[in-house]
Amino acid sequence: MSTDTIAAIGTALSNSGISIIRISGRDSLALIDKIFKSNQSLEPNKIIFGKIVKNEKKLDNVLVSYFKSPKSYTGEDVCEINCHGGNEITREILELVLENGARIATPGEFSKRAFINGKMDLTQSEAVINLINAKTRIESRIASKQLDGNLYSKIKELREELVELLAHIEVSIDYPEYDYEEVEPIKVKELLYKKIEEIQKIIDTYEQGRIIKNGVNVAILGRPNVGKSSLLNKLAEYEKAIVTDIPGTTRDIVEESINIGDIILNVFDTAGIRETEDIVEKIGVEKTLKKLDEVDLVIYILNAEEKVELKDFELIAKIKNKGIKLIVVINKMDRVEKSIFDTFMLQLKENNIETILPMSLINDDGIEELKNEIVTLFHTNDFDYEHELMITNVRHKDLLKKAIHFLKNASKSINSIESIDIISIHVKNATRFLGEIIGEDVSVDVVNKIFEKFCLGK
Amino acid sequence: MENNEYCLGEYDVIVIGAGHAGCEAALASARLGKKTASFVINLDTLANMPCNPSIGGTSKGHLVREIDALGGEMAKNADKTFIQSKMLNLSKGPAVHSLRVQSDRKMYHIAMKEVMENQANLDIYQAEIVKILVENNKVIGVKTKIGATFYAKAIIVATGTYLKGKVIIGEVSYESGPDGVFPANDLSQSLLDIGVELRRFKTGTPARINSNAMDLSKTEEQKGDEKIIPFSFENENNEEIKNRKQVSCYLTYTTEKTHQIIKDNLHRSPIYSGRIHGIGPRYCPSIEDKVVRFSDKPRHQLFIEPLGEKTSEMYIQGMSSSMPEEIQIQMYRSVPGLENATMMRPAYAIEYDCIDSTNLALSLEYKGIEGLFFAGQINGSSGYEEAAAQGLMAGINAVRKIDNKEPVILDRSEAYIGVLIDDLITKGTNEPYRMMTSRSEYRLMLRQDNADLRLTDLGHEIGLVSDVRYEKFLHKKLDIENEINRLITTVVKPTEEVNAILKEIGASEITTGVKLSDLLKRSELNYDNLTKLDSNRPFLADSVYEEAQIAVKYEGYIKMQLEQIEDFKKLENKKLKAEIDYEQIKGLSLEARQKLNKQKPLSVGQASRISGVSPADISVLLIYLSQGM
Repeated sequence: MSTDTIAAIGTALSNSGISIIRISGRDSLALIDKIFKSNQSLEPNKIIFGKIVKNEKKLDNVLVSYFKSPKSYTGEDVCEINCHGGNEITREILELVLENGARIATPGEFSKRAFINGKMDLTQSEAVINLINAKTRIESRIASKQLDGNLYSKIKELREELVELLAHIEVSIDYPEYDYEEVEPIKVKELLYKKIEEIQKIIDTYEQGRIIKNGVNVAILGRPNVGKSSLLNKLAEYEKAIVTDIPGTTRDIVEESINIGDIILNVFDTAGIRETEDIVEKIGVEKTLKKLDEVDLVIYILNAEEKVELKDFELIAKIKNKGIKLIVVINKMDRVEKSIFDTFMLQLKENNIETILPMSLINDDGIEELKNEIVTLFHTNDFDYEHELMITNVRHKDLLKKAIHFLKNASKSINSIESIDIISIHVKNATRFLGEIIGEDVSVDVVNKIFEKFCLGK
Repeated sequence: MENNEYCLGEYDVIVIGAGHAGCEAALASARLGKKTASFVINLDTLANMPCNPSIGGTSKGHLVREIDALGGEMAKNADKTFIQSKMLNLSKGPAVHSLRVQSDRKMYHIAMKEVMENQANLDIYQAEIVKILVENNKVIGVKTKIGATFYAKAIIVATGTYLKGKVIIGEVSYESGPDGVFPANDLSQSLLDIGVELRRFKTGTPARINSNAMDLSKTEEQKGDEKIIPFSFENENNEEIKNRKQVSCYLTYTTEKTHQIIKDNLHRSPIYSGRIHGIGPRYCPSIEDKVVRFSDKPRHQLFIEPLGEKTSEMYIQGMSSSMPEEIQIQMYRSVPGLENATMMRPAYAIEYDCIDSTNLALSLEYKGIEGLFFAGQINGSSGYEEAAAQGLMAGINAVRKIDNKEPVILDRSEAYIGVLIDDLITKGTNEPYRMMTSRSEYRLMLRQDNADLRLTDLGHEIGLVSDVRYEKFLHKKLDIENEINRLITTVVKPTEEVNAILKEIGASEITTGVKLSDLLKRSELNYDNLTKLDSNRPFLADSVYEEAQIAVKYEGYIKMQLEQIEDFKKLENKKLKAEIDYEQIKGLSLEARQKLNKQKPLSVGQASRISGVSPADISVLLIYLSQGM
């Protein structure tokens, strides 16, 4: 098989059950090898158990099946990952697959390949026609909603300048003797950098989009009995976790969805981090650390009456290394001198911790300040839903990433003084991927632009 | 008329028109052994250049090379008659290097006429064809204005801009073909009668001015290349061509005054007053168009090109116009160097009938009328090279039609000819179509230097490339393969001497043994400056070095394009039968059903390029096909 490798989620995204990610194409097996670890080895038509690993960390326990070409749905090498359902984990595995060389499948593409490779039989094809039609209709409805608005005009605008650049390059190639300004490499590079930056910004909104759609995942950490459950209760404004003054009461992670302004907080209460012989408590601690992979924000609570220990700093360092946002709260300020807070501040600032809030949960002091801080951190209060651009579609993100890849290549080509037609190949590819988002054809555009922008002829 | 029926001949193939398309068509047909007749309104305009006296240029030079590789004549005729040769775009990468020559217009005509006259199986007639005879939707012959009937199994219409040609100069317009030749006024009606749809396009040409009345010292001289590279593979070692004395072109500019004259008289331009109805090309606007549309440009370039060695007529490229004659002369005289100019021939616009190219099959046969082929400007293209390419393909396919063979259809990944014909037939055009390198998706593969490598096999198979030439070609191919192999296997050791040479070139030094091919991949190194490090280099033709260098230097990009081509071919190879009634495929959108039924694409790939056919429609088509209906 010589076609490139495609991937998509083969089941509807939902929060329960099992999801399937299907990969098809010449590199399927090599790709799975990179991200899937198991004691058994993959054999055609067998399902084996193992884990999906990203940066040497486990994402999920999964079942993977392998169908060797031509005995598969598409007729190509196909691998299917059965992972635990839920938007987050499924999406994350799909992204990992895409990062490792697959491209997101277009609607109906698996069926298209199945057909091209002669794998479709009579009974299937009718069902697939229905499926494709349905899918296209829904997709187009969703797409047109997005296309009506911000994304369409933004991509159009991004593309416009690249098409203009292409037209400029092409005119210098197709009309070499005309006295148009030659394309200046430095100017082209400036434009490329600008575009890369703009596209990266849009890609970044994918995260924001996810947060707005699914909420901010918050973990409340701290040593036992510093007030983690109390804080959760205050935020939730009703008693959910069991609160006692005996350390280690909260044995499991309690999830709670709380609205703060426009943001949804998914709060995980956690067992205290400390060394303990209690076996149940130990499982809780492990779970807590594992949970950090899914977390956007950690609220770390310290007890104003206790000293900050090396262990706290170690844990905080881990959090920061993961790129998770952090707020440190000094609780029980009602029990100490106010000046103690300054001591904490000094010590924490030395360790590069910036957001520090005093709090007295028992007196309801500092709760509002914390809420405000969260809103500021995820600056959704100044996010203009109506007018600002945000992407939520992983296909769009994938295409944008490809566009960046080729823009970077173009810039590299300029650095190594490659000829202008090579640079144009990269820019054309980038423009094509952007065009795929909004369904436009680059070569037609370039030719039209040449005639619009440049004065040529006999 | 009816009582004066007489027949003057029976042929396999008849070609109407002997311009650049007609000549290639007639030659191809005759060379493939078919009894062929070529008709032209005036024999002295055979292979005429009514516009600029040049062959080639960006993408057009590619077409000429492809015509050559397939066994066409244009390259050889251009080699015989050029008076200046230039490889354009040398600084811009090998894919866009483009050969362009200035031709001696009269000599080009004479040389081509000589070839035509001496071609076996080919008869040439000066006659205007007024009627195409069709029986049972199949062509059977033609009728001349005088009244003679000629019978044929296939007819190729290559009438250029002659069909109901109308020349427009300011407020004056009259029926005429280009260069003052009679137009073909009757054939249009015959085409309409047999069901061919017609439309009207427009093009134009600048004035010709006597160089004796010019002060060329006020212009910039533009010389030809010192190293001349011929168009034709067969002339690779032709010493006469390589040593030919060249003439110069000259560069000058319009002035503020020119622009003012145009602005003051815009109301007298037929385009702006609405007297011209045909659709003109965007890429070759008249000077009045340029001044209006690009008003911020203070001046426009003008190239002064000689029409030949034994004439003082000069073509003023960049200044085509349809202004009244008395305004034209003021305009030209406002240009430095042309202050005392007289116009030997005024600039004019010309309107003509052409067909809607989407009514053709990719073989260039008209859908619904068997044996009727169209080629050249009548298909909505413009340019001598575009015409010649179509003429060649129409000639080949008319012969194959008679022989009951599958037509030869080049796809977009094989040749610019494929891009040209696919664009015309599949996408259609709303203005005279000009070839451009940017129209090709696989530009890096479709280079002018490798046209022979891409197409000589096919040319030989078709029967237009001789065995002698084919042998020579195979030899060159082998040389290239061996040379690439040598580059990959030869290791340069990091000696002091080697590094000294590298340093001298300005390249970074090497610390371990490096393959020649890896050195060549560096942007600062090339075949020339590596000579000293490559003492065992065999003595080979320049064209062999060039191919080897490109193959090595651009290996990564070539691989990328080959992969894209492979994907492209998958859909291209899914054939669609002409019998399919798309109305019956319910999954298709309404627009797709109509367009597909009208165009009857040959493959799913071609269907996907028809405007109005969406990716969803393509999926439906694929599934429809899988059901074996």
